[in-house]
Amino acid sequence: MHIDVPILEKTVAVVGGIIVALVSAKALKDDWTSVGIDNGVFKLMLGLLCLGAVIALLAGVGVLGNFPKAA
Amino acid sequence: MAVASMSHGAIAEHEGADQLYVETRALRLQGFLLFLVSDCVLFSSFIFAYLYMRNSGQGWPPPGISRLDVSLGALNSVVLFGSGATMHYALENWKHNNFGRYAFFMLATILLGSAFLSGQAVEYTHLIFVEHVTWAGSGIFGASFFTLTGMHGFHVTCGVIYLTILFLQSVHGVYTKDKYFGLTAGTLYWHFVDVIWVVLFSIFYLI
Repeated sequence: MHIDVPILEKTVAVVGGIIVALVSAKALKDDWTSVGIDNGVFKLMLGLLCLGAVIALLAGVGVLGNFPKAA
Repeated sequence: MAVASMSHGAIAEHEGADQLYVETRALRLQGFLLFLVSDCVLFSSFIFAYLYMRNSGQGWPPPGISRLDVSLGALNSVVLFGSGATMHYALENWKHNNFGRYAFFMLATILLGSAFLSGQAVEYTHLIFVEHVTWAGSGIFGASFFTLTGMHGFHVTCGVIYLTILFLQSVHGVYTKDKYFGLTAGTLYWHFVDVIWVVLFSIFYLI
């Protein structure tokens, strides 16, 4: 059976991106009321982590980084 | 009497150590955050140098070099971002005194970090042996790609070693439910490494 490796990679990236984005968004929501410098930095980092997961998800579905093949 | 005075001394010493921990925690946190800021400056200087050189050339990537594999990059990114989420939950479970789940998430973080490094090794092998892109022989593209991702990979390698040491320390009782600054610092460092990759993935693979 032939497995198309790029499609497999993109599928795992999309599924993983959805999971990581949801988990990090939930963690951010749970930590939203916490106070202190370290928790403030954690909230910033979790927000950026969620953004990164969405970017990877969009790259997986071909919305971002979908360049035409060079001639 | 002597035993009683020794135990009083031990208690006083213990209370002194607790007080010292509380007094110095904020300072250590600030010191660690300053270290992360300095690391951020280091990455920023390389990133802006790369963007400047990229925009001053004639098209990107340079002729003869194909675009990077987005599917592998996206997969590798999700693996690293996933490790950020597991690290967060490792610390949360430590705070809530749930050692079993802490150990599970900590080991998952170390495993995912190692998987990311393996993905990078696959990317490097493909670039060097199939695309013939090298650090010194492929102009600005090769130099900037291998310098920035290599520097990031070095940070991830240090992070995997750091987290392994933290895990072993926690197994041997170095940290308690109330005193766990090492784990907080490890989580901050790992999140920082994740966030840097958001930028690197975007500038090398997506634009």
